[in-house]
Amino acid sequence: MEKFQQSFPSKQVAWPASRKWALSGVVGSGNLEVLIEPSAAAPASVSYSVETSFPGYKDSWLAALGDFASHYAVGGTTITIHDQGASPIVITMRLRQALDLLTSVKP
Amino acid sequence: MSRVPYHELKARERIAAIVDPGSFSEIIPPPERVMSAYLPKLGIPVAFDDGIAIGRASIAGKPLYLAAQVGQFVGGSVGEVHSAKLVGLLKSAARDRLPCVFLVESGGVRLHEGSSGEIGIAEAIRAVFDCRAAGAPTIAVIGSDIGAYGGMGILSACCDFRLMTEHGRIGISGPIVIEKWMGKEAFDSSNRALVWKTSGGKTRFLLGDAEALVNDSTDAVRDGILSLLSRSAKPDLAFVKARQKFLQERLDTFGKTPDPDAIWAALGIRDVAAATLAEASEFVESFAPKKP
Amino acid sequence: MSAQPRDLRRRNKAARISRASGLASGKLVPHERTADLLRAVIEPGDILCLEGDNQKQADFLAAQLASLDSSTMRDIHLVMSCITLPEHIELFKKGMIRKVDFCYAGPQGGAVADLLASGKFPIGAIHTYNEIYARYYIDLTPRVALIAAAKADRAGNLFLAANTEETPAIVEPTAFYDGIVIAQVNEIVDELPRIDIPTDQVDFVIGAPYPMHLTALFTRDPAAITDVQILMAMVAIQGIYKEYEVESLNHGVGFNTAAIELLLPTYGEELGLKGKICKYWMVNPLPTMIPAIESGWVETVFSVGGEVGMERYTAARPDIYFTGRDGSFHSNRPMGQLAGHYALDMFIGASLQVDIHGNSSTVSKKRITGFGGAPNMGCQPMGRRHPTKAWLKAGREANPGPGSIPGRKLVVQMVETFQAGRVPTFVESLDAQDPSIKAAMQGVAPVMIYGDDVTHLVTEEGIANLGACRTPEERTAAIRGVAGYTPVGLKRSSADTASLRERGIIKLPEDLGVSPARANRSLLAAQEVKDLVRWSGGLYDPPAQFVDW
Repeated sequence: MEKFQQSFPSKQVAWPASRKWALSGVVGSGNLEVLIEPSAAAPASVSYSVETSFPGYKDSWLAALGDFASHYAVGGTTITIHDQGASPIVITMRLRQALDLLTSVKP
Repeated sequence: MSRVPYHELKARERIAAIVDPGSFSEIIPPPERVMSAYLPKLGIPVAFDDGIAIGRASIAGKPLYLAAQVGQFVGGSVGEVHSAKLVGLLKSAARDRLPCVFLVESGGVRLHEGSSGEIGIAEAIRAVFDCRAAGAPTIAVIGSDIGAYGGMGILSACCDFRLMTEHGRIGISGPIVIEKWMGKEAFDSSNRALVWKTSGGKTRFLLGDAEALVNDSTDAVRDGILSLLSRSAKPDLAFVKARQKFLQERLDTFGKTPDPDAIWAALGIRDVAAATLAEASEFVESFAPKKP
Repeated sequence: MSAQPRDLRRRNKAARISRASGLASGKLVPHERTADLLRAVIEPGDILCLEGDNQKQADFLAAQLASLDSSTMRDIHLVMSCITLPEHIELFKKGMIRKVDFCYAGPQGGAVADLLASGKFPIGAIHTYNEIYARYYIDLTPRVALIAAAKADRAGNLFLAANTEETPAIVEPTAFYDGIVIAQVNEIVDELPRIDIPTDQVDFVIGAPYPMHLTALFTRDPAAITDVQILMAMVAIQGIYKEYEVESLNHGVGFNTAAIELLLPTYGEELGLKGKICKYWMVNPLPTMIPAIESGWVETVFSVGGEVGMERYTAARPDIYFTGRDGSFHSNRPMGQLAGHYALDMFIGASLQVDIHGNSSTVSKKRITGFGGAPNMGCQPMGRRHPTKAWLKAGREANPGPGSIPGRKLVVQMVETFQAGRVPTFVESLDAQDPSIKAAMQGVAPVMIYGDDVTHLVTEEGIANLGACRTPEERTAAIRGVAGYTPVGLKRSSADTASLRERGIIKLPEDLGVSPARANRSLLAAQEVKDLVRWSGGLYDPPAQFVDW
């Protein structure tokens, strides 16, 4: 198991106050789960925390997570990831799904 | 454009598609991080919900308790936390005399966690009977790829009702385990047609192991749950004795029949090939003998 | 002038036949006497051909051969397409084989690597299918060929059913150069549905105690197609199929191309492409093509082999598939490969590794696989002269200027940047370049498709038009540009990528009007095998391992 944390600058996220968290994905072979939560500490950056059972790909992880932070407004959140060997495209898809869930307003 | 079938959805998507919009109130949600203490020691990643989402919700305005298992996470297996969530949910249902619905997707007890999973599932089964005794209906929905096996097969069998799709399977030992112990001649687990004809939804419905067989869609599953909620099955001694007699007779009749198609034919299916291909609703309407 | 008699080979054949005469009644030999027959007709030093490709196997004859003693069976030069069965490996372990010329060792790739390491695998060369068939007519003509057929009549005529595959390509050179042809058959009958191999070309027929082994190699379960593969399929349809108006094509066996087949009746229809693309196919009877066929997309399909479970469906669609007078499906591997080489607008396939020059390979240090048919289809046929729209357009992009070759086949590699288990597909150097592997192959790395032949690379990141690149450096930059977060991709320069995108050499999904949000399984015309059965009107009989109902 490899664990690492990293923050990236990102525009501040906008979400309805009623939402406290969003979860996407599941922990399973080639997949991961992403939990996104508010963090009052730093509105202009996102803090990632990753736990993966496929060690040795930190460079590739950080590149994908950094791109996500610069393409989307996720500042002021903490994103926690449990991974079981997801490929970067799946990582990006799950991050987007979690963000969509967080920011979508449902009746 | 076709909608995503029930069996392809993940646990939380199933809940969202089945219950009244916005009605699900999760108990111990992911941010609380109540997770397995065992898996990290084995180098296996943990999940925020330990592979099961539980909570209160309503279907067509009827309040109920609901659990959905995440089959992708360690095979939907029942570990210490996972079973504690099941037990707590069942106790709440018994206390409030509300229905308890399980969207099952599990290979059984999580062996990685030793006896705590075994004890946990035993407590959960006990809690199912407490619910039944209290008059809180219990329904196992079995329509996922993994099905309901091992301890979750037993738990499902102990519920008042089983609602299945043709994708669902229920049993104790899984096909690979049977093949391992009995040999490939006795049961070839790579013969998926045989596996489904033995333990799949249509066969279980014909044999009387499942009370409802519905199409592989969340609408059909929701409607099926609703119609079962209106049925009462509080067990008494006469009910149990009648059930045991039924099972004994079934064993006497089919215990030595190796070919599942022959069992279908003996149970009144005229065109086995067409019935095999039919949608569940068509199967129930046009092929299966009418239930009393 | 030497006085050497001109019929030595023929006399030798007669001597072998007469040694076996006591075993046969006419041409029929009881299966219990197979080992005696092989001992009687095979001589040390023979070139021996054992039929077996990636689907069809003369498995009973292989097992009988492997059961022989190396004192009687030795010094054999084995020629065959695919080393697939444990019995094939046994021939090497017993030391019967002096030399082997072959194409492919899929399931036995690990065993072959082990044999090679212990010096027990004397490779002549590793070929493509058409190369080895060609050599059967030149310098590797079999002295004895052991083949498989579905049925024989009592005179020794053979019926090959759906899996004709390579049988004629083995039998013809053997029979017409005084070799001996021995066939195992599933069944001996009074009258054949049709005659595929006349008895004139057959010497002995054995009714095998069990039917020949057939693999359902081309069946892909739609349930296993992922959203990422659907995204790539949408990108390929927009950026290549539509862009070049691809009319004739071959698909590989992967899930990527299965996704494309299942998007034609939905996404393709929506784009108004029906009747414009994907009309003529050289491909096995893929179950995932049933929805496109039933929706009227396809004119014809010719195949190198059959597919288990597709017998009734193909027989019911003689307007699409090639069928015999008896009504059943017909295939031919060498002719299909020839068609794939010369008559197609496009070959599209996948690979395990792609290097920074666009070369691809499925060989690793622990697995010696080989080639099969992909290199013949995934290459530029320099002898092609007839033009098509797609061929000319790709040619204009790749070879501008006076006097250059006017056309180019579209050779497309479609890969996810990572394989399962987070193994990167893109690498700086192929495993196939390993010195130990090259040493066993006379110094040549076993490359499946050369980068020089590839026109397009499709990944989940987008399309790189390698054919339009002007220098090797530019090609490498284009490859890095679509290699995502692999180590190869992380070395890209964003300026290079932006300039290639400006010139249309790199196209991202949004450049092609593809929205990743739409890429999900509900877009597939069939989401599971049962849907394919429904599309076929109940005529497709999936093998039991693909049934979940």
